[in-house]
This record gives sequence, structure tokens and C-alpha cells, in this order.
Amino acid sequence: MIKLKSAHIEEVRGIRKVDIDFQKGTFSISGPNGSGKSGVIDAIEFGLTGQIGRLTGRGTKGLSVAEHGPHVDKTKFPDAAFVELQVFLPGLNKSATILRKVSSPTKPKIVPADDDVKAALAEIAEHPEITLSRREILRFILVEPTKRSEEIQAILKLDEIGQTRGALNTAQNKLQTVQRTAMAQVQSSRDALLRHLQISTLRSEDLLEAVNKRRKLLGLPEIPELTADSKLDSGLSASINRPDFNKQSATRDLHALSDSAKSFPDLAKADADSILSDLAKLEADPALLAALQRHSFIQKGLELVDGPECPLCDKPWENEQHLRDHLNRKLAKSAEAQKLQEALLQKGTAIAQAGIRVIGLLGPVQKIAEAQGDTGFAQVLTIWKTDLDGLKISLTTVDGLTGLKDRLTTGWLATPGAFAKGLQDLTENVISKPDQTAALDAQTFLTTAQLRLSDYREAMRKNKAAEIAYATAKAAYDTYCVVLEEQLNALYDEVEKDFSAFYRSVNQDDESAFTAKLTPSEGKLEFEVNFYDRGLFPPAAYHSEGHQDGMGVCLYLALMKRLFGDRFTFALLDDVVMSVDAGHRYQFCKLLKTQFPNTQFIITTHDRLWAEQMKSAGLVTRKTSLSFHGWTVDTGPLVESDEEIWGEIDSSLAKGKVEVGAAALRHHLEYVSRLLADQLGAPIAFRADGNYELGELLPNVLKRMRELCGKASDAAQSWGSVADQEAATKRKTALSTSSGAVNVEQWAVNKAVHYNEWANFGKKDFEPVVAAFKDLLGCFRCEGCESWLYVTPRTNPESLRCACNKVGLNLKPKAK
Amino acid sequence: MATLQQQLAEKFLEKLAESKQVDTEKIEQLRLLLRDSKKVKADDLVKIFSLPAGGDVA
Repeated sequence: MIKLKSAHIEEVRGIRKVDIDFQKGTFSISGPNGSGKSGVIDAIEFGLTGQIGRLTGRGTKGLSVAEHGPHVDKTKFPDAAFVELQVFLPGLNKSATILRKVSSPTKPKIVPADDDVKAALAEIAEHPEITLSRREILRFILVEPTKRSEEIQAILKLDEIGQTRGALNTAQNKLQTVQRTAMAQVQSSRDALLRHLQISTLRSEDLLEAVNKRRKLLGLPEIPELTADSKLDSGLSASINRPDFNKQSATRDLHALSDSAKSFPDLAKADADSILSDLAKLEADPALLAALQRHSFIQKGLELVDGPECPLCDKPWENEQHLRDHLNRKLAKSAEAQKLQEALLQKGTAIAQAGIRVIGLLGPVQKIAEAQGDTGFAQVLTIWKTDLDGLKISLTTVDGLTGLKDRLTTGWLATPGAFAKGLQDLTENVISKPDQTAALDAQTFLTTAQLRLSDYREAMRKNKAAEIAYATAKAAYDTYCVVLEEQLNALYDEVEKDFSAFYRSVNQDDESAFTAKLTPSEGKLEFEVNFYDRGLFPPAAYHSEGHQDGMGVCLYLALMKRLFGDRFTFALLDDVVMSVDAGHRYQFCKLLKTQFPNTQFIITTHDRLWAEQMKSAGLVTRKTSLSFHGWTVDTGPLVESDEEIWGEIDSSLAKGKVEVGAAALRHHLEYVSRLLADQLGAPIAFRADGNYELGELLPNVLKRMRELCGKASDAAQSWGSVADQEAATKRKTALSTSSGAVNVEQWAVNKAVHYNEWANFGKKDFEPVVAAFKDLLGCFRCEGCESWLYVTPRTNPESLRCACNKVGLNLKPKAK
Repeated sequence: MATLQQQLAEKFLEKLAESKQVDTEKIEQLRLLLRDSKKVKADDLVKIFSLPAGGDVA
């Protein structure tokens, strides 16, 4: 993770040009709605990740970083829109600069271009969740359980885990199909062996009895025990050219095929009919058909995803994760289609197994036809076998089954027209042959038996290997699921504890016994919270919006703690605690300071009071906070600072835009008045909403400064300090003679009247107003360091000072 | 601190080894696959699970 040192932002979103010194510390940016705070967040997010969360996700169709990332006046010049961030990488103890242009968001220029620096920044780029806006809060708290599960899993990057689980499941299913096919092959070769041996069970004893009977007839030694090395035809001279044909066995093979052929029309017909019925259902329901087609299409697409470009339509996405999330959401929508797909493929496998058994019957007959010189029929059988072999592949996919619709209707086996006659002719031909001599019969019986035993053993070996592979895949998948569940339960348990503790600490005054329950189940994540010991309820059931906001932030912090651990050093909180009330905000500051002392939070708020509270709670300082007083499309955010304001006003007046200059002056006076009221301890009538008017602040600040200067003068006189007395008197005189001070009552800064009046001034009329206030505010600053004066200590102040100590007026007179 | 994915992969392989249902050669291959690829492919897993017991040396 990183800490942000500074940011230079140009022509991004609503910002023209801004430099901010973040000082690697928690930082607040305040300002009214539309003043450009979120633009800064967008720019930092863009600089770090190449993305802008506000332009992606739900409700952002038609928006993109490329088109809407640059300032509205620079959409045709995206090269002009860029962010340069100075960051510190605590894990590496290195500093780096990232320069990212909107025109090439995925290719930041990183200096130094060290591999470890690039890897650390690449990791950040994969974590857009470093930004939390109120929209994200609603995603955790108010969504339905299935959606919450998705959202939280996405934050925790659990989708990668889901991808691994899916791959393990697919591997398991594939190997199960292989194993079923191997089993069908075993059955087929076993049937052929039994048929040849004329035994009903494949017991060694029965097999050896049939074999040894022939061996005895040929004067060969009996085989006492069937082992893996046993050769049933051992002892037969290999040099003798004997026919590879045993009439009796051949007759049995022919009859077996002939008998089986009677049931060919009905073979696996129920499965074929069921497939046709499902296909008809699909045709009648275009939405289901589309979902199914999409399902396999998207599944294929997901497998092919390897970057931010969609492999299905070439559309470029913000990043690969967004694309994956999008495809996974689409997949989830077609659950019914997935169920149908599973049923279709199961029936397809059953037909494939039946096909293997038919191939097992055709094989021996094909050899007989070849041995008898019936090449025509042998060719028919060869083509048919090849066709059935190819059919097996089509039966394993939905697309394949759809393509087989006609064939499934007319008979999937597609028995060749020449089959029945060919089989009949071959059978008659074989039967009409003279019986073989007993010796030849015995010899060919043994050679055929050995061949079929070898086939059977090979099928068994393959089946065993397939069984082991499937068992391994199943064990791996089952183990992964068990471990996943254990880990997720532990994870949610920890998140639940952290979340509850964080929320209790923020709401310790009214919910000190708060608890929450996160319950994961079947892709859902139930989330319930205790409501004043009355039981567990969904968060939105009874808790106020403010409490829900608090919950959202606490859940976010708990998740980030779990995701990054001690590497959680940076987060952007964009106006997320706006409806949390004042008392709880102080506790929130305490939570951030105590639980996340090493995390730099960049916090924006439109609430001036909250910005002040962050300072008084010690979460930020004046140096680590920034206020925007307004925004215009031409200037971008207007920063509340004395250094820049007069230049901005002069610039507006030079362009003849008095209304812009008037608004800037008004905001600046409000800002400085609040600041000075606080720093000088001016007595202001308290307002619970903290929404003080300029008319309430500025006159009282002037009065307080006069009083302080008077006190300083008196104190200096009592101590006999002529220099201090002169300095105090000089400041008081300057204050009294300032035309701004003279006119402040006259201009009375009534928001409703004078603000608009200023805006209606001509340039020449307004320039004296600006000069008067510039002169007036100068009385409150140090001429050397230009900082605003302040009293210390805040209660019963003893001196009036500036930051550089050039101004240091004693307020305490000498005791008499 | 290991990522959740890394923690899960470690636990998974540890538990698989304890179960003795999968031989060590395959577990090692799985370890390499999970370490090297963020997106595990089913066909790569099929190849590993189909390895002859004890390795592919005949």
C-alpha cells in the first residue's frame, strides 16, 4: 500500500489545475456541494488505479473515463488531462511518482521504474475499493443478501476463489464423464469376452475351465491360475498361419448383434425423447433459450478473459475485474438455464454410453466381415463405428445436442440401411461354412479369447486410471469447498467482530451493547444487527439513516482490515459520514485515530462543521485540511486560502466577471471570519447547527481584535515595554482606520441583500470593496510569515501570536 | 501478510495432503498451478488429476 505525499491534478473532471500537499497524513477536504471535492477524489483514484468509480458500475451506462474523465472543455484533448501523484511506499521505504494521463489510463509513467515499485503500484491499481463513497455504503447495508454477498466478495477479491472452485468443479465433471465412458468400454469388452467364452460371470475359475478344455484338446498344459501375465493361447506356435476366425464364436457375435439390433430403435429412446422435450421447451421459451445460449457463450468468454478487452465482443473495459464481474453477473442470472443444461448433458452421456456398447458389438462383427472377405459390409460397419465415435463428442455439449435434434427424432443410432441385409448375409455365410475341425476350433478359440481378454484388461486399466483421476478431482473439489467454507466462516466471524467493535466505539453513548451477525449461506450473506437488545434485524429495519451510514463505514473498515491487514495505509472516504450526527462524529475520529493509526484517510465533506470537528478531534490539522469555497466551470474548485484568493478575484475582475469575484470574496470572508473567530476566541452567539452567517461573525471578530489590541497595549504599558505598546497601538489604529472596518457595518454583509448587490456592481464600483477587505484582513496577519494571528491558551489567553513568533503580544498586565 | 487467496490455497493443499486421497506429486503440481496462475483453468486441473499415481515416469 501507499501513503500520498502530494497531488498535481490538471484538467480532470471538474478540476482545471490543483496542487495539494497531503503530507502522508489524514487529510480533510471540505466545501459546499458542487465545489469540486469529489473531483479531487476521482483524480486521486484515477492516478492510483486508472479508474474512476463514479463512471463505472450500476447507473453509469454511457459513461467512461476516456470520454468523461477530462474536464468538460478538454474532452477533445484528453492528453491535457492528467494526474501526477507523489507517493510513499511504506513496505519498500521508497518514494515514487505516478503520472497517469486520461488518454492512456493503463500506462502510467512511474519513477523510479523499479520492479518492486511497479509491483506495489500495480497491486493498488487492482484495488478500486480504496475509495468509499456513499453509493458503496448502500451496496453493503441496504442490498438483498445475495447482492451483498457479491459486493463483499468482490471487495475481498473472493471472486478469484470462486473462479478456482468453478475450475475444480468443471475438472471434476469432465473426469466423471471420462470415467463413465471408460466404464461403458469395460462393460462392452467384458460382454464380448463372456460371449466368446460362453460363460455368464467373469470368474477366473469359469474362464480357466473354458480355456483349459481347449488347451487339453490341443495337448497344451493347463493354466492353473489366472495371473496378470497369463497368456490364454500360450504354447500355440506363432509360426503357423491359422485363420483368425472361430466359427462358433463368430456365430455368437453375429447373433448377439442381431439380437441387440432388434432393440436398437428403442435404445436410450427415453433419454433421446427427454432431450427433444427439453429442446422443445427451449424453442417455446426464447428467453430461456437466449439465457442458455448466453450461458455457454459467457462461460466460454469467461474462460478466455485475459485482460480488460472482452473476448466476446472486443469491448474495452476499465479493467479485467470489471469485465469478469459483468460476465459473472450475467451467468448468475441464467441459473434455470444452467439446471437445464446439466439435465441435457446427463442424458447425452447416457446415450453416449449406449453408443459405446453398440460399438462393442459392431467391432467383432466388422472383423468377421473382413475375415470373410465381405469388404462392403465391413466398410458399412467401419463408417458406422466412426460415426458413433464422433457422436459421443456432440452429445457432451448443448450446442452439439441442438445440432442433433433431427437425428434424435429419427433415431440417434442412425442404423445404416445396408446393415440388416449385410448382417443377414454375413450370418448365413458364416453358418454355411463347414464346421472347423475340433483342433482348429480350439486354436482359434484360444487366440480370440486372448485378444478379448487383452481388450478387457486394457479397458479395465483405463477405467481404473479414470476412476483414480475422478476420485482425485472429487477429493480436491470437496476439500476445497470444505476449506473455503471454513475460511469464509472464520473470515466473516472476524469481520463481524471488528465491525461490531467499531460500531460500538462510534455509538458508545447509546449502543454500547451493539452486536451484529453475518451469516453466509448458499451464495447469500445475511446481515443482521442488534436493535437495543430487542433482537437481530436487518440494518434498515429500525436504525436511522445516520446509523446506517455509520454501519457502512464500520463494515468497510472491518473488511479493509481483513483484506489488507497492516498494509491498509490508504483510503479515500468521499462524503460518507454526512448523516452521522455531531457526537458520533467525534467518536468516529477517535476510531480512525486509535484503530487505524497507520492509515492515511482522505476525507471529503460538504459539512463545514464536520470539517471543524475533525480538526478539534485532532484527526487533521490546519496544514492537513483544505476548504473549497466554490467552483466554476472555468476555474474549477476555488480554494479558501489568502494566498490565492486576491489573485483569483483580480483575475475575475480583469475578465469583467464581477459576479465571480464577488462570490469568491464573500466565501473568503466567511472562511476567514470563522477561522479568526475560532483563533481569537471571539464571542459569537452559539448556533447548534453551526451555520453562522458572515454578519454574525465578522463584526464580532473585529470587536475582539480591537479588544485584544487594547489589552496588549495596556499590558505592555504595565510592563514598561514601549515597543510592544507601540506595536499593539499601531495594529489597533490600522484596524480602526481600515475602510473595510469602517464600511463593514455599512456593507453589513447581509447575505440576502449585499451579496447580490456586489454581484450587480460594476468593476470600478467593486474594486474599492476588494481593496478595503484586503486591507482589513491584513490587520489580522503577521507581516512576516503572513499567518493568521491567534491567542494562546484558548481559555484565558495570555498572548496574541503568529506562527513565526514575530508577533507575540503579551495580554497579561503586571500584577499591581 | 498473505492474501486470502494465498491463505486458502495453503490450507487447501495442507488438508488435501492430510487426507491422503491425493498423492504428493499431484499436490505439488497443484501448488505450482495455484501459485503461478491467478485464473486456474479446468483443463490444467484435468491434466494434473490424470497423471499416473506417483508421477508420469513410466
